[in-house]
Amino acid sequence: MSSSAIVVVIISFTLGTLLALLTIPMLVWMERRVASLIQDRVGPNRTNIFGFRLGGIVQSFADVVKLLLKEEYYPAHIKTGRWLFMFAPIITFVAALLAFMAIPFADTLNINGELLRIQPLPIDFGVFWYLAIGAVGVLGVIFGGWMSHNKYALLGAARAGSMVISYELPLGLSILSFIITYDTIDFNAMVHFQTGTFFGFLPAWGIFIQPLASIILIIALFAETNRNPFTVAEGESEIVAGYMTEHTAMKFAMYFMGEYVAMNTASAVIITMVFGGYQLPYFATEELLQHFTAFAVVMMLVLALFIYGFIKWMQKNNRVTKRLSNDGGRAFETRFFTIAFIVMGVVLELILLYLAFISQSDLERSISVAVVQVAIFVMKLMLFNLFFIIIRWTLPRFRYDQVQTLGWKYLLPLSLVNIFITALVVVGVSL
Amino acid sequence: MSQNIKVTKRPVNSLKHALYLPAIAAGVKVTFKHFFKNISDINAVETLRYPEEQPTDISDRYRGLHRLTHRQDGSEACVACFMCATACPSNCIFIEAEEREDGLDEKRPKSFFIDTLECVFCGYCVEACPCDAIRMDTGIFSLTGNKREDFVMDKEQLLSHKGAFGEELSRARS
Repeated sequence: MSSSAIVVVIISFTLGTLLALLTIPMLVWMERRVASLIQDRVGPNRTNIFGFRLGGIVQSFADVVKLLLKEEYYPAHIKTGRWLFMFAPIITFVAALLAFMAIPFADTLNINGELLRIQPLPIDFGVFWYLAIGAVGVLGVIFGGWMSHNKYALLGAARAGSMVISYELPLGLSILSFIITYDTIDFNAMVHFQTGTFFGFLPAWGIFIQPLASIILIIALFAETNRNPFTVAEGESEIVAGYMTEHTAMKFAMYFMGEYVAMNTASAVIITMVFGGYQLPYFATEELLQHFTAFAVVMMLVLALFIYGFIKWMQKNNRVTKRLSNDGGRAFETRFFTIAFIVMGVVLELILLYLAFISQSDLERSISVAVVQVAIFVMKLMLFNLFFIIIRWTLPRFRYDQVQTLGWKYLLPLSLVNIFITALVVVGVSL
Repeated sequence: MSQNIKVTKRPVNSLKHALYLPAIAAGVKVTFKHFFKNISDINAVETLRYPEEQPTDISDRYRGLHRLTHRQDGSEACVACFMCATACPSNCIFIEAEEREDGLDEKRPKSFFIDTLECVFCGYCVEACPCDAIRMDTGIFSLTGNKREDFVMDKEQLLSHKGAFGEELSRARS
């Protein structure tokens, strides 16, 4: 193992951990702001550090501090299995976190003939890893609800159990049809399959090649992450907070954060299997490397436009309404970030300029393509997380028997038919 | 009678209906429209920017924080009859009576506590009072404190609250 390999492993592992953990406050903030914007409200925007509000994202950190400082309360009626009661939220959290680690963030790097995966866990059986680890997450929910010795929690856990039998089969079967189509269980190879075009004009994404399996996969993953419309394990009006009724302070926070990590993981899996992963549509990594100068010039233009648009949007929206006289330091914040973004943009443009016209090194080019791919991956991830959030604030909740009906009567036969057709087509093509 | 019956057309059992996905798409379209409109101009959101902006629609019928009214000479109008404490559904009014020396009335409250954490702001005390001595017309809707004791109002605090709608003195005892 060369030193460059070690560096790449460390960097991709750090990247994966940061992407999974730092997105939690991001997602909590996004959830609250998007919910309020959908409902014609403003949302949390007052918490600040030295006047910096960052659009309200500081609120998430304040919430974490609040949960950390809260009293650790153990329900006295739990006599046996207290360790499992404490351990259950950790199972949910860690399972979601580990499942995320099999996702490739960029194409395999070729450093002096050595092929290095940009994947926190450099494994080539990512789909099985995800299925195995992802399915463990719900055990934390079931244990937590069962060990609480509380009727609401027990009902929540029972509902979580009923959810598992509803979604696991369609999930596995839809992934099976993807495995048949892509002929691989490696996430990276799946992304490779999805580069290029389908019928000449569509990007060869899973959603166009396998539309039915894609929809079943998305529905099943919505169910697996316990997101609306499948939040049957917790139902405010019927069973209080469901399985987490007895969990307080940081134990609750583990469940809460685990939900967001699971949502992030589900988004990453959906993107990797269905929406072309880290790849730009129509362009494979090799093409980007061949026409690197043109690619870098286009990137410069896109970056300049993006930063210009963002600054315009910030100057328009980081203001108080005209009715108020005191803006609470928003003008200073806007000025600070305008300058910061302009400086950042100029530095990035200079780097791109250097890469496009001066540098001739293959290594620098492939690394910069990898960085761009990570950026594309994060952008797609955030867009799909936004979709998760918008769905949550659009749809009402299913009853748990309705989820079972959906899973067993509709999704299961559909996914079986889909596997049959997929197998026929794959065999027919290969004949 | 029959001409008043309105027959509601039930939704048809079409494939589009059974698929459920077109309905989800329509719902997402509505929510996304709101989201996009508000994210492109946050100041178009019509909400009250509390606490910088205070509500302007508090009418004289609004049941705010309690106050004890005064007589002409500035003394309390309350005669410690315990009607409010009896009418109170949450038992949050605690009165101790004493003899009144100035000849205006026979009794006066020695102490008068309202535990506003217990209070449900139903206004029954105001209805029950025969002397117009307790009122809820202060317009105060937000009450803050650092400890529970801060929320127990004593006689001096209740007497110091001003009426928000012009009427200061008790109309029954002047």
